[in-house]
Amino acid sequence: MDSLTDKIRTLCTGLLKDGKVDMIVGFKKGTIPMSSCPCVARTPEQAKELIWDSNCTLNLANYLTNRKEKIGVVAKGCDSRNIVNHIIENKVTRENLYIIGVPCDGMVDKRKIRALFNDDITLFSEENNKLFVETASEKKELDKQDFLKNNCTTCIHRNPVIYDELAADPVEEQKIENRFADVIKIENMSSDDKWNYFNDLIKDCIRCYACRNACPLCYCPTCFVDESNPQWVGKGQDINDVRTFHLLRAYHCAGRCTDCGACEEACPMDIHVRAFTRKLVKDSCEIFDWEPGLDPNKRPALDTFNPDDPDGFIK
Amino acid sequence: MGNLLEHIGIEKDRLHFSWISSAEATKFVKVAKEVTESVKALGPNNRLVKKLG
Amino acid sequence: MKVIKIDKQNWTGGIDKSRENYQIFGPVKDKEHFVFKKLNLKEYPDMENALSVLSPKSILFPQSEKILAASLDESQDDHHIMKRVATDYSPRAVIGIMPCDAKAVQLVKLNFDTDDYRDPYWCDAYEATTFVGLAVNKPSIYDFTLSMGSGPFAEEGLDVLLVDCKDHFLAKVLSEKGDAFLKASGFTSEADADKSAKLINEIKNQAEKAIDAEKVKTEKLKEKSLLELHGASFWEDLSFSCINCGTCTFVCPTCWCFDIQDETKGKKAVRFRNWDSCMSPLFTLHASSHNPRAEKVQRVRQRFMHKLKYFVDKYDQGTMCVGCGRCVVHCPVNIDIREICNTMNSYEAEQA
Repeated sequence: MDSLTDKIRTLCTGLLKDGKVDMIVGFKKGTIPMSSCPCVARTPEQAKELIWDSNCTLNLANYLTNRKEKIGVVAKGCDSRNIVNHIIENKVTRENLYIIGVPCDGMVDKRKIRALFNDDITLFSEENNKLFVETASEKKELDKQDFLKNNCTTCIHRNPVIYDELAADPVEEQKIENRFADVIKIENMSSDDKWNYFNDLIKDCIRCYACRNACPLCYCPTCFVDESNPQWVGKGQDINDVRTFHLLRAYHCAGRCTDCGACEEACPMDIHVRAFTRKLVKDSCEIFDWEPGLDPNKRPALDTFNPDDPDGFIK
Repeated sequence: MGNLLEHIGIEKDRLHFSWISSAEATKFVKVAKEVTESVKALGPNNRLVKKLG
Repeated sequence: MKVIKIDKQNWTGGIDKSRENYQIFGPVKDKEHFVFKKLNLKEYPDMENALSVLSPKSILFPQSEKILAASLDESQDDHHIMKRVATDYSPRAVIGIMPCDAKAVQLVKLNFDTDDYRDPYWCDAYEATTFVGLAVNKPSIYDFTLSMGSGPFAEEGLDVLLVDCKDHFLAKVLSEKGDAFLKASGFTSEADADKSAKLINEIKNQAEKAIDAEKVKTEKLKEKSLLELHGASFWEDLSFSCINCGTCTFVCPTCWCFDIQDETKGKKAVRFRNWDSCMSPLFTLHASSHNPRAEKVQRVRQRFMHKLKYFVDKYDQGTMCVGCGRCVVHCPVNIDIREICNTMNSYEAEQA
């Protein structure tokens, strides 16, 4: 990981020095253990603060839109796929970006790790797929593989799909037996069980919209839940309004979601919001053979019509 | 949309999609009947219905 | 100062006894995290000082609270007349609240209970509530209460302060309300005042040592020029990572802003208020469609200027932050109020 950090710093310092980019969007070290902070570097000096580790979980594609500068961006597999989405949706132009691709072997789930300890984690470091975690009273060595974020365990696009330069050699892609086992489990439930499952899932939602705001897809100038004249959705804690938010937000991501997991990472209430979007990822894969964010020259599934599109649902 | 609604527990038979030309009166009647029957069979829907306060 | 000794074996029995006269609120584990909520029979507050994701402010100021209702049935004489809805304001006790969260209630009170305006919903709930705090023997690494005018053993805003002494609690009685609660719980065995004061002090010193009070500095905030801080160039970079979610404001024990909403269905109309967040562009959107805080940087600046400067200047009661650390833990992009506070505190105006 340290070598990746060094490599990223060298590349970014060079880009800024040579004036190839105006700014770099990357991660810097967080102020608390197991955290990172999306940051901007405009000078070679600032580029020395850039880091890379298993906590660089959020999706930096979220920070690229509505800017005039030429941007260098540090992008792991999922970030790169969301950059492709942005290009397709005319939110950024390829020419305005310099993409430093980072082959990724998964990010760690800080919640799973915190759950192992009684006290606050005071130190976190990693080396060769081992994690070293300390609290005031305990010390543990963990296998990174066992503590990956859920979306990373089913990821089949760890290597950036679009880049100008790679910060390391590509990693081997995972062969996943049953990528959608979690979705199938819900699909096999009865309607009542499904209903109860999702009710329980969202019952703690505080509508802070961290999931939406962490999501690179959610760039609408005014989100439907923020429409006020007239208002579209109730703004209280009524479970039907909360559900409407999650349901429609998910549907807006149909055929676009890369399952980067930023929504879940951002949620302060630990809500498994991907339970909504995963179904759409599976459907777009199975119905339209479509994986979003792989090719900037292909139009997305919900954006095109083919005479042979499956139409079994229409009577 | 239908799939996602079904996924969160709205019974499949509550939502129907159909393509009917203005010239297809018989088909319209047939579909309307089917819709009514399948929704009736499920009974009243309480899901996604907001009750005030 | 009266101190009551409570043997832990009598604890749950006492809580049950108090239920005859009080609704009990406290922290309990729900799924993976802790929440403050009204406890049902057989539910007891967790007494380990676990930092709940949301602060206990919701006990007085629910995230969504129905306040008024009206009938839209024109055959009724009082149709369309908004009337206060019935809310249960019978005595309640919040047990296991951290001292900093109790101080936060006092800060929120500055807003809801003033000479000019008195918010009946908040004030009635406040008056019904007895605050039974639990001193924090082992502060978390995120705790910076000592820098923010509170502390792990602070008493401000509490009616009782419980101190965990292994096999028993020592309960410092801080008000008549507190005294009444302890009596209602059957906790009446007075401890030796001097001895218990000494023991409490020992544990307190130990706890305070665990917090580096020098890490976050606030002493110069008051003397800084408001306009210079407002115009400082650091806001741009500080706000870069912010995704403008409302997490920090919702988890914060002192964020008091709300939004009023009316909803109707059939012949019924209700008015309720919801927590609002200055992080949302909608918060300041005018009916004219002008938005004075349309940009993210303005909103981020507003939140920190309010907590650490405007409030300091207006009330002269310290910062509008009690140092609980919730926003530090839960911010998805690691915006750390401790760092921002230090940046503001040490800010020197840039040369023009």
